[in-house]
Amino acid sequence: MKQPESQGKDTVEFSSPESWGQLHTELLQSTVNRVYTRVPFYRKAMEKNGIKPDIIDSALDLYALPFTTRKDLSDNYPYNFFAVPLRDIVRIHSLRLGISQPLALGYTKQDIEHRRGLAIRFLTSCHVIPEDIVQFCLDPGLAVKACDLAEGAEALGALVIPPDPLSTDARIRILADFKTTTIVTTPSYLVYLLAKIPEMGIPLASLSLRRAILVGESLADALRDNLEVEFGIQAISAYGIMEAGGPCLAYECENRQGLHVAIDHVIPEIVEPGTDKVLPAGEAGELVITTLTARANPLVRFRTGDITRLIKEPCACGRTTWRIMPVVSRCDALISVRGVLLDSTLIEKFFEKMAQKKLDFVIIVKNRQGLQSVEVWVSVSSEFFTGSLPDLHNWIRIAETAFEEVFGIGCIIKPVELETIARWLSTGQKVVHL
Amino acid sequence: MLQIRNLHIKYGSVAVVKNISLHVQTGEIVCLIGANGAGKTTLLSAISGLITPAKGEILFEGVNVAGLAPFELVRLGISQSPEGRQIFSAMTVMENLHLGAYLRQSKEERADVAADLDWILRLFPRLKERMTQIAGTLSGGEQQMLAIARALMARPKLLLLDEPSLGLAPLLVESIFKTVLELNAKGLTILLVEQNATKALEIAHRGYVLETGRVTLQGSANELRQDSEVQRAYLGKDYSRITER
Repeated sequence: MKQPESQGKDTVEFSSPESWGQLHTELLQSTVNRVYTRVPFYRKAMEKNGIKPDIIDSALDLYALPFTTRKDLSDNYPYNFFAVPLRDIVRIHSLRLGISQPLALGYTKQDIEHRRGLAIRFLTSCHVIPEDIVQFCLDPGLAVKACDLAEGAEALGALVIPPDPLSTDARIRILADFKTTTIVTTPSYLVYLLAKIPEMGIPLASLSLRRAILVGESLADALRDNLEVEFGIQAISAYGIMEAGGPCLAYECENRQGLHVAIDHVIPEIVEPGTDKVLPAGEAGELVITTLTARANPLVRFRTGDITRLIKEPCACGRTTWRIMPVVSRCDALISVRGVLLDSTLIEKFFEKMAQKKLDFVIIVKNRQGLQSVEVWVSVSSEFFTGSLPDLHNWIRIAETAFEEVFGIGCIIKPVELETIARWLSTGQKVVHL
Repeated sequence: MLQIRNLHIKYGSVAVVKNISLHVQTGEIVCLIGANGAGKTTLLSAISGLITPAKGEILFEGVNVAGLAPFELVRLGISQSPEGRQIFSAMTVMENLHLGAYLRQSKEERADVAADLDWILRLFPRLKERMTQIAGTLSGGEQQMLAIARALMARPKLLLLDEPSLGLAPLLVESIFKTVLELNAKGLTILLVEQNATKALEIAHRGYVLETGRVTLQGSANELRQDSEVQRAYLGKDYSRITER
C-alpha cells in the first residue's frame, strides 16, 4: 500500500508550522470536547465562565480556558479527574508533593504506549542502541520518572539496570562490573558519583561510561563542559513532569539550544507567575501545559510552577517542535532536591504531626561535592525537649525514617538551639541553601 | 489534501456539526465513526457541496472550497458515493456510469473516459456482465458497486464513501472493502463514513470519532481499535466480552 505523506512518528517533529496549527486545533478541540463532557471539574469551571467547547478555533483560544493546579488535582483525589472509567485505567501513579491529599494520575494502555513512544523518541535521539547498557541511579522520589525511560530503553533492546535503592558504592560496583555505557541520573548525583569512583580505587579511564542522560534538575553549561571535556561523557538533558506528558516531555537535540517539547502530545504556554496573563514567546514565566493525547487524565492549562522561556522558531537540527529553555527556578512553595520536589508547607505539617505540636525549624539544603542533601534543623524548645536525650534520639530516628517514606528522599534531623535558626525564622525564611 | 477547519453546519436553527476540524493527507484512508445522528453524513455532504456550511473552511489542495457547487467540486477532484447508493434506478448500468463522467465530455477526454471505464469494469467484473441491465434491478451489492464505480468515473483525487457496507451481506462487505483497499493502493485518497467501525478501522490509516456533532477522539486506526471506549461504543465489545477474552 502506498504510504501517506508524513505518516510516521519519526517525521512528526519536522512538520511544517501549518501542519502543527491544524494538528493543534484538531487535538485541542477533541480534548476540550472530552473534558467538558467527562470531567466535572472542567465542565463546572467552563460553565462558570460561560465557555462552551465550541469556542476553540485554534490553539490561540487556549487563554479562554481555566487553569489546573496541583491543588485541583489533589482536591479531586482519587477519581474525579479521570476522563475514562476506572476499568480502562491500567496504571496509577500516586504523587505526594505538598498538599494534604496525594495526587492520583491514571494511564490507559494507550497513555502508556504514548509515554513509551516519547521515551523511545528521546533515547533514539541520544543514539541509544541495543548494545548499550543503561543504568538508572535515581532517588525513590524520582523512580516514577525512571519507569517510562526504562521501558523505552528495553523496547530499543538495550540492557537496562533499573533504579534500586542501592548505596553509591554498590552502584559504582555495578557501573564498573557491567560496563554501563549510559547512566540516567540527576546532574548533582553524577558529579558526586564521579568524585566517589576514584576514591574506590576504580580508574575512571577503565569505565565504559560514555553518555549521561540527566533528568530532574537543569544541567548547567559549566557542568556539561566539565563532563564532556574532563570525563569524555556526553551529557544530555531532559525535562518532564509526571502530571502531563511524563519524563520525556522535552529533550535536547545535538544543537543544545533548548529542549524540544513533544508538541504532538502537549501545547506549552508561558504565563506570568501569580496571574493569568499569557506571555509572548521568549519571555520568562511559568510553564503551563495542556495535554492533547492523554486519555485517562487529560489536563487543560496545568500550572507546572517551573520558570522557563518558550522558543517557537525552528531549530538548526531541522525539528520544528517548540523549545523551552532549561528550568532555573520555581514560582511556588516547592523545593527541588536532587530532582525530587518537596513542599515546605507539607514538611511543616509533617513535623507538627510527628511532634504532636508546632515546631520551629528550618529546612537546610546542603551542597556537598555537588550532591544536594536535606537537613532539618529543629529548635529544641522546653515544651518539646523533656530532658531525656535517649527519647530525643529515638524521636529523631523515627522521624527521619518517616520523612524518607513520605517524601521519597532521606533527611538528617538536627536538634539546635532556637538562637541558631532565629535569624531565618525572624525573616520567615523556611528554606536555606548552604 | 483536505483540511477542514472549524466547520459548523446547521439544519435550520439546529446545529448538527459543531466546530469540527480534521484533515486527510494524500494517499490516506481516513474513516469517520460515530453513532446515528453524530453528523458524519452531514459532514461528507458539506465536503461534496450538497450542503453549505454555516461557518468554517474546507481547504482542498490549499484552496477554500466551502460553499462551491457540487459540479465544481467534482471538477476539482472530489467525488462522492452517497449513502443508500442513490443510483439512477430507471437507467442502465452503462448510462449510470456515463453520468459519472458527465463533466468529462470534451473530445480530448473521451479516450481517457473509455480507458477509465475499461479499468473500472475490470475492478467490478459483475457490472461488466450487467451493462445493459436496468440499475434498479441489480442486487444490493451490485448497486453499491455501481455507486462507487459511478463516482470513480469522474476520476476523483478524493473519494468520499458514505456507508458502503450498508445493508450488504458479509461476503459482499468483504469484497467492497477489498476493492476500497485496491483503489487506495493505486493512490486514491479516501474519506470513509461507516457504521461498521470494525471493518472501517481494519482498512483505514486514521480515524475520527464523532459524538453529537463534535470530534471527541482521533488517532491511528490501530489506536482507535485498541481504545476501550471505542470498543464498547462502536465495535460491539461490551464489558463482559472484553473481560472474557
